Amino acid sequence: MFKKLLLSVAVLSSSLLANDVVNVYSSRHYDTDKIIHKMFEEKTGIKVKVIQDKADALIKRMQSEGKNSPADVFITVDAARIQRVKENNLFQSIESEYLTKNIDSKLRDKDNEWFALTKRARVIAVRRDSPLANGIKTYEELADPKYKNQIMVRSSSNVYNQSLMAAMIAHHGVEYATKWAKGIVANMARAPKGSDRDQAKAVAAGLGSTAIMNTYYFGKLAVSNESDKEVVSKLKVIFPKFENGGTHVNISAAGVTKTSKNKENAIKYIEFLLSKEAQEVYSKGNFEYPILKEAQTAPLVAAWGKVQDDSVTINDLGKYNKDAVKALDVAGWK
Amino acid sequence: MKNKLSFLKISSVFITLLISIPMITIFVYLFISNTDNWQHIKDTVLFEYIYNTLFVMIGVGVLTTLIGFTTAYLTSFYTFSFSKFFDYGLILPFAFPTYIIAFMYNGMFGITGNITTWVLNLMDKNLSEVVFFDIQSVQGAILVISLVLYPYVYLVCRTYLNFESASIIDAAKTFNLSSWKILKKVVLPISRPAIIAGATLAMMEATADFGVMQYFGVNTFVTGIFKVWEGMGSIEDASKLASMLMTFLFILIILEKFQRRNKVYKSSGKDFRPIVKTKLTGSSNFFASFICFIPVFFGFILPFIQLSVWFIQSYKTVIDDEFIDLLVKTVQLGLMSATAITIIALLIVYNARLNKDKTSSSLTQIVKLGYSIPGAVVAIGILSFFGILNTYVFEVLSLDFIISGTVIAVLFGYIVRFMAVSINNFESGFNRIPQSYDDAAQISGIGKFKTFVKVFIPLLKSSAAASFIIVFIEVVKELPLTMVLRPFDYNTLAIRAFELNEQSQTVESSVPSMFIVIIGIISVLLLIKNMKKAQDAKY
Repeated sequence: MFKKLLLSVAVLSSSLLANDVVNVYSSRHYDTDKIIHKMFEEKTGIKVKVIQDKADALIKRMQSEGKNSPADVFITVDAARIQRVKENNLFQSIESEYLTKNIDSKLRDKDNEWFALTKRARVIAVRRDSPLANGIKTYEELADPKYKNQIMVRSSSNVYNQSLMAAMIAHHGVEYATKWAKGIVANMARAPKGSDRDQAKAVAAGLGSTAIMNTYYFGKLAVSNESDKEVVSKLKVIFPKFENGGTHVNISAAGVTKTSKNKENAIKYIEFLLSKEAQEVYSKGNFEYPILKEAQTAPLVAAWGKVQDDSVTINDLGKYNKDAVKALDVAGWK
Repeated sequence: MKNKLSFLKISSVFITLLISIPMITIFVYLFISNTDNWQHIKDTVLFEYIYNTLFVMIGVGVLTTLIGFTTAYLTSFYTFSFSKFFDYGLILPFAFPTYIIAFMYNGMFGITGNITTWVLNLMDKNLSEVVFFDIQSVQGAILVISLVLYPYVYLVCRTYLNFESASIIDAAKTFNLSSWKILKKVVLPISRPAIIAGATLAMMEATADFGVMQYFGVNTFVTGIFKVWEGMGSIEDASKLASMLMTFLFILIILEKFQRRNKVYKSSGKDFRPIVKTKLTGSSNFFASFICFIPVFFGFILPFIQLSVWFIQSYKTVIDDEFIDLLVKTVQLGLMSATAITIIALLIVYNARLNKDKTSSSLTQIVKLGYSIPGAVVAIGILSFFGILNTYVFEVLSLDFIISGTVIAVLFGYIVRFMAVSINNFESGFNRIPQSYDDAAQISGIGKFKTFVKVFIPLLKSSAAASFIIVFIEVVKELPLTMVLRPFDYNTLAIRAFELNEQSQTVESSVPSMFIVIIGIISVLLLIKNMKKAQDAKY
């Protein structure tokens, strides 16, 4: 009886391993991704099956599934996480002339285990009528006491803040970064809570003058309802830089899993995600920066200004993530 | 007959063991951790986690008791304007998931909420010039969660007062005590076990909450578990935190059980008669209506209005074929898991009644523990368990097979997580059946199996229905567990609401949320009908 049951479930699950599919574990949860999957299916006839969850839950799931894991491609929305997948030995190195030729070496793994799909910049949105906030040029100066009660930012459990902190550690070391985070905590207009978008809204409404946020959320606000559009009209995007670097950018990235049963499809799929047509959908639909040079950035995103990427590598962001979390706790960043 | 009995016991032990495995795998980590990380947690954030978790527990305990008991007392002992509506309307907030009510409250009373902005405009001031209560705070979280969870206390207290107290109250009345004195000296003390039973469930659910705490920026054990897991990449230390929380709650469950066993007042069954309700007039009539109106208004009407406004603004863009599919899947999952859980709980509780030994009664307490653990942590435990199965069974047998990513895995998760809700229902149901029924059946020589089918099942119909409906609502509202264990391309309403909210589409996320709430309302109405029927049957 038990064997019968096992077999019948095995038959069910084996349908996931058929040749014409690519099984994707993704921590991206955007409707734009669904559009891109449909485009890929129409073009290649390969069916895209997706499980979406937080990256760490998906990592645990793959580890638990072992050799039998149906996953072919793993996509994350953060640099530190893609490194974690690699460190857990869940990716394999792949050969793709298209990817190695078209993707900047800084935006792919040195062993070709993962490739960046999109970029987002962690910028600041300031209230247009606030002379104090308008002058901000660097991330470092946000800790200056002159910004007391001015800064709005979400909690330290958020991965984008952790990556920003990791970049700060990569530039200046743990001690300096901890002191910097303490300065930010002292300058907060209120204890961290809510999303990036909530910080922007609060700044527009007059609480504090400076919101630390991702460009992607600013774009979402700009095309939302009337009251959100009003929020955007009161704000201006500034691209701060590190004193000895550029603007902090984080990436979404994809790689082929070690146990992939549809490796060829998986490579085709990642190549498609980095095609001009898919890259432009990412940018237009989700306000992210394309990785492929020839793909056009959405006009709304381009209008905020040009991003000069920071010199810190994706590997560094992954390497210092744990130290960043600890330092943020020490600094009392809730 | 003896064989059947031992079959019941063996299957109860087996099922309990199976349900406990995910919890045991987490519990093991109480003794394992990375020293470096753990030292850091102890030095920096552990105290805050403990303090906030206790604060939330106590706050929710006090507030749900205050609202739940007061309203149960008023509707059980008095008739007043709209009291027939309040009798059951007071359960309606239960239809809201806590995270949805948090979105609604932040949308209205948050620092940039509609109502806050409207008031500020009226005063011609901006945010920095006014000091006001910030809903996104630990106090706000307690308030919002209590508004949804007080029906736990209300339901248990009402059932208890209606079924068990008339004879004691009548006795008290013969001493010519005032209503106030009867409340203080009689009703409150005899209701204590019921209050604690209801409040414990509310406190367990509040402690396991992730959505509200994360959104409101409150660092509790549960938000800490995720921060440690995701931020430090340490599943060991996250599980250690989870097992500490589990141990604490287990002690609480044992204490609750202990106080109930010693203090519960139970009518013998045959002397049951309904409470004769007093009609209130004048100011006390108004006052009673007003008190019952407050939780219904803030727990249901107000958030429902906000939800409806957003729904009307956005339903056209959200409802499509895919949406219908996830609606169907959500209902299917709810029905399947409610059936499975209700049947298993009935077996386990019946076993505890028949075999009054320590093992059987501890089994029911162990399976209840799942309710205190956040869904995603239950999922970690389940994945670890599946991992062992994969490595040592399927791979060894060269079976190309995995359980995670099947509906069976998701159902298993719900069974682990929601068994407590069903067991609590059956325990109170069984408690109301006098022991004399078992004895009479035994004397007349009907076998225990026949007694179960012919005597207990008909008497437990309303408990089974209540269990089914409440588990169904819980499953429809559930988010993290489903996300971690679901199959490919498998979506539910709760996941869709989460996805939209994560994409900053809060207004659009009201569409799946509205369907969750409507399914909740229909279920609550069915629950009400079931309660009415049970009450009428008693009369």
